Amino acid sequence: MLQYVNVNIDGANIRTPRGTSVLDTAIENGICIPHLCHVSYLSDIGACRLCIVEHVINGRSNITTSCTLNVEEGMVILTNTERVQKLRRNIAELLVAQAPNSRAIQDMAVRCGVKEVRYPFRNDDCVLCGRCVRVCTEVWKAQAIGFVGRGKDRHVDYPFGIRPDFCKLCGSCVQLCPMTITPCDGPMKPGEERLCGKCEAQLIISEPTPGSCVWCKLGEGFGCGRYA
Amino acid sequence: MPPQTLDQILEKRRSQPNQLIEVLQDVQENYGYISEKAMQSVSSGLGVPLMEVYQVASFYKAFKLKPSGKNVLTMCMGTACHVRGARLLLDQATILLGVKPGEVTTDGLFSVEHVNCLGACALGPIVSENGSYHHHMTPGKLRKLIETLRRQETEGKDNA
Amino acid sequence: MPSLNSIRELEHMRERLQEQRQNITTTVMVCGGTGCQASGSQAVISAIRDELSRQKVGPSVRLCVTGCHGFCEQGPVIIIEPGNIFYCSVSPEDAFEIVSQTLVQGEIIERLLYTDPVSGKKIQTELEIPFYQAQDRQLLSKNLLVDPCSIEDYIVTGGYSALTNVLNGMAPEEVINEVKSSGLRGRGGGGFPTGRKWSECREAPGDEKYVICNADEGDPGAYMDRCVLEGNPHLVLEGMMIGAWSIGAQKGYVYVRNEYPLAVKHSRIAVEQARELGLLGENILGSSFSFDVDIARGGGAFVCGESTALMDSLEGKIGEPKPKDVHTVVNGLYHKPTTLNNVETWANVPSIILNGSAWFASKGTRGSTGTKILALTGKIKNTGLVEVAMGTPIRKIVYDVGGGALNGKQIKAVQTGGPSGGCLPVDKFDLAVDFEELSEAGSMVGSGGMVVMDEESCMVDVAKYFLTFLQDESCGKCVPCRLGIDRMLEIITDITEGRGRPEQLDLLEELADTVSQTALCGLGKTAPNPVLSTLRYFRVEYEAHIKEKKCPAGVCKALITYSIDPNQCNGCGVCARACAYGAISGKKKQVYVIDSQLCQKCGICRSECKFNAIQVA
Repeated sequence: MLQYVNVNIDGANIRTPRGTSVLDTAIENGICIPHLCHVSYLSDIGACRLCIVEHVINGRSNITTSCTLNVEEGMVILTNTERVQKLRRNIAELLVAQAPNSRAIQDMAVRCGVKEVRYPFRNDDCVLCGRCVRVCTEVWKAQAIGFVGRGKDRHVDYPFGIRPDFCKLCGSCVQLCPMTITPCDGPMKPGEERLCGKCEAQLIISEPTPGSCVWCKLGEGFGCGRYA
Repeated sequence: MPPQTLDQILEKRRSQPNQLIEVLQDVQENYGYISEKAMQSVSSGLGVPLMEVYQVASFYKAFKLKPSGKNVLTMCMGTACHVRGARLLLDQATILLGVKPGEVTTDGLFSVEHVNCLGACALGPIVSENGSYHHHMTPGKLRKLIETLRRQETEGKDNA
Repeated sequence: MPSLNSIRELEHMRERLQEQRQNITTTVMVCGGTGCQASGSQAVISAIRDELSRQKVGPSVRLCVTGCHGFCEQGPVIIIEPGNIFYCSVSPEDAFEIVSQTLVQGEIIERLLYTDPVSGKKIQTELEIPFYQAQDRQLLSKNLLVDPCSIEDYIVTGGYSALTNVLNGMAPEEVINEVKSSGLRGRGGGGFPTGRKWSECREAPGDEKYVICNADEGDPGAYMDRCVLEGNPHLVLEGMMIGAWSIGAQKGYVYVRNEYPLAVKHSRIAVEQARELGLLGENILGSSFSFDVDIARGGGAFVCGESTALMDSLEGKIGEPKPKDVHTVVNGLYHKPTTLNNVETWANVPSIILNGSAWFASKGTRGSTGTKILALTGKIKNTGLVEVAMGTPIRKIVYDVGGGALNGKQIKAVQTGGPSGGCLPVDKFDLAVDFEELSEAGSMVGSGGMVVMDEESCMVDVAKYFLTFLQDESCGKCVPCRLGIDRMLEIITDITEGRGRPEQLDLLEELADTVSQTALCGLGKTAPNPVLSTLRYFRVEYEAHIKEKKCPAGVCKALITYSIDPNQCNGCGVCARACAYGAISGKKKQVYVIDSQLCQKCGICRSECKFNAIQVA
């Protein structure tokens, strides 16, 4: 039996099944909180920190990721305050400075309001969002790839760096990877990385929610495609 | 304690995934590093997917995935040791031995490691060599220690 | 040893042991802790043992190998009762005299006594030494009374009587209330009210519950937990038993970091001995309480000191912290209610039960009661483990206990709380060791590490050191910690290498603020603290690095030059021989010269020069 709770997100009173995350609830109802590591059919790990919101409780507001926060009766959430916008913008700035050669990351940065990148660009080809690892582990249960190492050295790899025979080259990992969406003009030459910002398009890898868009002001601030 | 085989290490722990770290500790102690073959045996012995064994072995600093040198020099990089110049010791070891932390010298005699605090802070800087702690180390004392260990090695060879 | 089946049997055992030891008139306590072992106490212990048998000294003299006494710099340390005689820097050759003169005849050996570095006088007893006088050694003094590998020592000194009090007629709620009223707060760094944690765990639904002792002690410069666990493992076990009973847990784990082999060994022995006596296992002392403990080793990961990461590690996984939206007291180890407390927190429990919560709360401040063990290290005369009442001002600890600056230098700052804490300048030394006071000032009590820095420590370098440490130890899962710390380190490295720009300071502050608000776990959230506190109090040093490209403390290699003072140099050539880069040249008896192009500023020449001729500017 599905139980429902009432939550308040950005002033909207929403009735949602117990056990859903705040992020899923928001997206379902047209409030497009930016996210990167979240995929609707995979577990949520709270790694990218882009989906942060303010959770107002006991007179304080805590910054927490909406993908790992489950709805509860009477919860009050603010997704787009100045404080959250600034934090999200800074995180997106870190991401685009690390891996500018991905249209998804570029779009995300612009969408989160990044106007200039104040760090030297690097050219990583992985942002450790974990989508590939999770699809291989949770959907196919193959565990052919996983996170290896720690901290700065953390990367995705096969056991011993060799593709095991139980990897059937299904391609799910490649399909989900945000890095495989390259900028329109092709890859940027090393040393010429920049904040592209040309597309200002709605993030392609987020799930389309055609029926539930509420034309919220949030979308305007994010450069949402519907306002273009 | 006499050296154990992989089977002995896995005995009494078979099919217990939560023993993974303890098992790897024992493998590290007995073999000096965790080989691919060892990881595969541990994976099947404990019932832990190979990817997870590899993940755990690569996450924790206690586990080495390559053999160490005969003499492992571990420099403590804790705050108290740092304030007393531990950085200089690491640089000195790197210069004298020609290897970076985590690497082994070409003759296989030495490897340099660094650890984030051994807990003997009042006596820093500390260098641990094969389990014994040397305290109040200076670059000069370190050079002497390396020379002594080298000499012991050649003397040992002469006597053999 | 036969198993004890009732409280009465334990009391009888204690009485019997006390009777057996009635004839002991003299006890010689030699420190066998890790610090003294590094100074060679093993050889001293063997030498004394040999001498006692060689000189045919009777059973009225007892040798007790104890855990850490805390004054590690003076090791190997020996204390002799009666008389509370304190000998330091003892060598094996002294054993003959110690036995024949002091133990047998009661005569003091002057040269082995401690010399007060401030007054220059010799001090005879431990209690008169200023280092010890200013302390309130509730926990540490217990280390002197027991051999950690002897459960009998623990029992004969009253050990396990708190447990019997509890089993004998206290209800779990009563115990939890006592702990609540005592005001005990987590000693590992979190400072969370212990009684409340126990009560929440007790109320969590489920029959299967766990207690964990966090002995991961990852803060570099902190070794309090090592000392307590190595030196008095039964005290910690007793605390855990009392906690487990009040919460309703049947199983406990002591998670010891891999780098503490002696603590692992002593805890294992303690658990074995407790099991043998029936103090762990089914129906302890004939009660309905069944509880057992296993010792688990860490794998070398500071992040595993974080409670969710520690629990993952116990389950055989990597230590990746989980979001704290769900509390571990409800959903912890194996998804069951779990109470995780620090070693020192558990160690305080037995005396709270025996002496009462009011006794504990009478020490310290209103918000921070009891005593705290601090690891006082760095550029001061007396370094070691120090136990003081909460509320003691930093000034007292640094000057009265620590004896003030080393080598006549000026003390500049005190770093507290490890990599999660901050640096406080001298004008903040009137602040007390109190959870709230230090947090408000931008630092924290943390696990108790207190590193004193002087004019030769560069505060920008200190921030860089901690960021390097945290970057090494970060699990790498979340963006703010993994990328944020990396970029903060990039900026600070630029600053220490002369490439700093003024706008970078603002960026550094903004980034630090972002990381502290958005990181997933405590490691990431508190990672910016060393940067923020040094920016707050030592901004002038950052600015000197940026605007003048100078390092006032003479530490940052790119901004300093090594040169030889011709007035001090006596031409001995030691520096030239020591230099691995061939940067020093000269002839014997003539002034030597450093070629600044080749000089790598490694500092070896400076540490070898006996004439103080190497200058750094």
